[in-house]
Amino acid sequence: MKTKYFKQFLALVGLALMAVIFAGCSSTSKTSAKSVTHITYWHVNAQTQGGATVDELVKEFNKTHKNIKVTAKYNPNMYQGLMQNLQSAQASGKVPDVTQVGWAYDNYFASNFKYMTPTDAAKKFDGNDKFITDHFTTKTLSFAKDANKKLVGLPYSLSTPVLFVNNDLLKQYNVDVKSLDTWEGVQKAAKSINKQSGKYGLYIQEPGDTWAQQAIMLSNGADIQKNGKAAFASSNGEGAYKLYQEMVTDKTALHTPWAQGMDSFVKGDVAMAFTTIAQASHIKKGASFNASAIIAPHFEGRKTTVPVGGSMLAITAQDPTQQKAAWEFEKFMFKASSSVTWSKGTGYLPPTKDALDSKEFKDYVGENPMLVPAVNTLDKAIPWTSFPKNGLQAEQAMIDARDKILSGSDISSTLKSAQEKINAQQ
Amino acid sequence: MHSNKKILPFLYLLPTGLLLTIFMIIPIIYTFYLSFFDWNLIAPTKDFVGMRNYVEVFTDPVNQKVLINTFFYIILLLILNFVIPYIISLIVKFFIKKMQGAYKIVFFIPSLFSLVVGAMIFSWILNPVSGPVAFLFRESGFVLPNWTNSGALAIVVLCLITNWKVFGYNFILLLTGLGSIPKNIIDATTIDRIPKWRMIWNIILPMNKSIAIYVLILTIVQGLQYVFTPTNVITTGGPYYGSSNVLYHTYLNAFVLYKTGNASALAITTFLIFLVLLYLEIKFVEGRSKYE
Repeated sequence: MKTKYFKQFLALVGLALMAVIFAGCSSTSKTSAKSVTHITYWHVNAQTQGGATVDELVKEFNKTHKNIKVTAKYNPNMYQGLMQNLQSAQASGKVPDVTQVGWAYDNYFASNFKYMTPTDAAKKFDGNDKFITDHFTTKTLSFAKDANKKLVGLPYSLSTPVLFVNNDLLKQYNVDVKSLDTWEGVQKAAKSINKQSGKYGLYIQEPGDTWAQQAIMLSNGADIQKNGKAAFASSNGEGAYKLYQEMVTDKTALHTPWAQGMDSFVKGDVAMAFTTIAQASHIKKGASFNASAIIAPHFEGRKTTVPVGGSMLAITAQDPTQQKAAWEFEKFMFKASSSVTWSKGTGYLPPTKDALDSKEFKDYVGENPMLVPAVNTLDKAIPWTSFPKNGLQAEQAMIDARDKILSGSDISSTLKSAQEKINAQQ
Repeated sequence: MHSNKKILPFLYLLPTGLLLTIFMIIPIIYTFYLSFFDWNLIAPTKDFVGMRNYVEVFTDPVNQKVLINTFFYIILLLILNFVIPYIISLIVKFFIKKMQGAYKIVFFIPSLFSLVVGAMIFSWILNPVSGPVAFLFRESGFVLPNWTNSGALAIVVLCLITNWKVFGYNFILLLTGLGSIPKNIIDATTIDRIPKWRMIWNIILPMNKSIAIYVLILTIVQGLQYVFTPTNVITTGGPYYGSSNVLYHTYLNAFVLYKTGNASALAITTFLIFLVLLYLEIKFVEGRSKYE
């Protein structure tokens, strides 16, 4: 035991020393940097999820911009982990200069952190906001606005949910892909497959958010929020969950955590999976069957509407010279070629008009046909619901409602109580 | 010289004391302070709410569910990580003559693996639809229940994963304890033809008490911390908090929902419950040992 404590003590002393050394480094680098501005970029991309692409882009930027040096820092545990680190950074006064912010954290970020809006940055450093209007559609920009309609950052990674299908199973059990345009059709197909094979028909992703479930409700004409208040406990919202609950109850749909559900789809035990396009490469690599993707289904007589997924880039730099450097860096990251490189490395869709129209991206989509429905869904995408106040708790209330309903709770009362809980906090 | 001798012990303790103060005592006091506020970890203002967070710990149905789950976790962990390793170590020590070393190694190997890796592997092995276990069940005509949809089953599975990790370590500790019991006493019982179960019950268990208490406390205190990893990796507390426990729920409140006040109140409550448990445990066991 003694040696254990001694080792722990040594480790702590080592850590403390390192902290002192690094603190020293960064303070000297800032003061000595007269000609070179140092900025840091915080991202969530692990080496297997586009981290190498981040490094590649940063390296290229540093090579072409001699007066700015960008250091990329990876934050584990996705946007949630990044937010946690940002909090401690803010507390210690050493914030990053450019930060990836997940859509679900839109309002939380805007109301709790100091940042420079892209509009301000463009006007201050370019003299006009032409860069923003030239590269982004009004629709894409709407994704990055907070509850007060203020542009918080620039959309960077975009994703949409799609329906992945196992064509071998569909063919074997005589399901026409065209019938999967509607959720009613999906239910029928799932029933038929389940009856003939005993396999599950459908899996809908169940991570720590209700992104996919919101897409289903939206595609039944329901609103998730109206004027900053939750509004999903409508007859349309209930209708969407009714179909979902029926499918889980009669075992035509699989109800299980995300990783296991995707695993079952890839192994061929589930015929269809409703999940993010970001899963495309995982499915392409893992599946031994003929897999393809189709556009997210809608309910009969309704239109497909989905919330957009992904993140934006926000300028968190406080010092004007660093803000200027951060803006330069962002402009580089939104160049068509950088955006396409980014898209290839991560599976996200590029956010800018010119990147989507570029030959390079079109060639890439040609080689990866699963991306086609995702690109086509972008016109049907709306901002991910972010409530003005206590947004993270609102999301949790919707997760709780989902889990309760899938365990068999009454849909109407469950949705109502979740809605009331959210609205009581607004 | 005299004053030197008085100061020196404190000087030796200073590094540990300092670390303990910085990393344990101050955070606990700060958590206690935070438990009276409504705060999101970052806003400049903290709203004082008095005892509201504590009232919610016991009145909120989700918190109640989580507290009950915690109780089940502790019972299950005690059986899996304390009682069973103890029985096995007794068997290995007194009923098996050969291969003791091999057992030690085999049981200890999982302790070397990261629990995150273990959790991911088990999540795959036990996948209720596509995992190898589900396949074996299907082949032999059974259906593996979808344990991810049942809180009780999820708790059992998470405890088993923790057990895979902790078992070997506890086993080695207990076995070492048994090995340090003087051999002449055991030989004496053989000569006197005392049955083995009596020898174990009346001689071995009381003599091995200090190690056993250590492992018991370790099981209670560390068990839930170990369960945290597979919970986070596999179920994230679901279905509907069915596999959550106070530690995971505190984390969820603090670092996912940023409800710092609720999380702090929950943490302080947990701290107090554990303190009482340990106090009772030590008092009960030590009180009894005086009569023996």
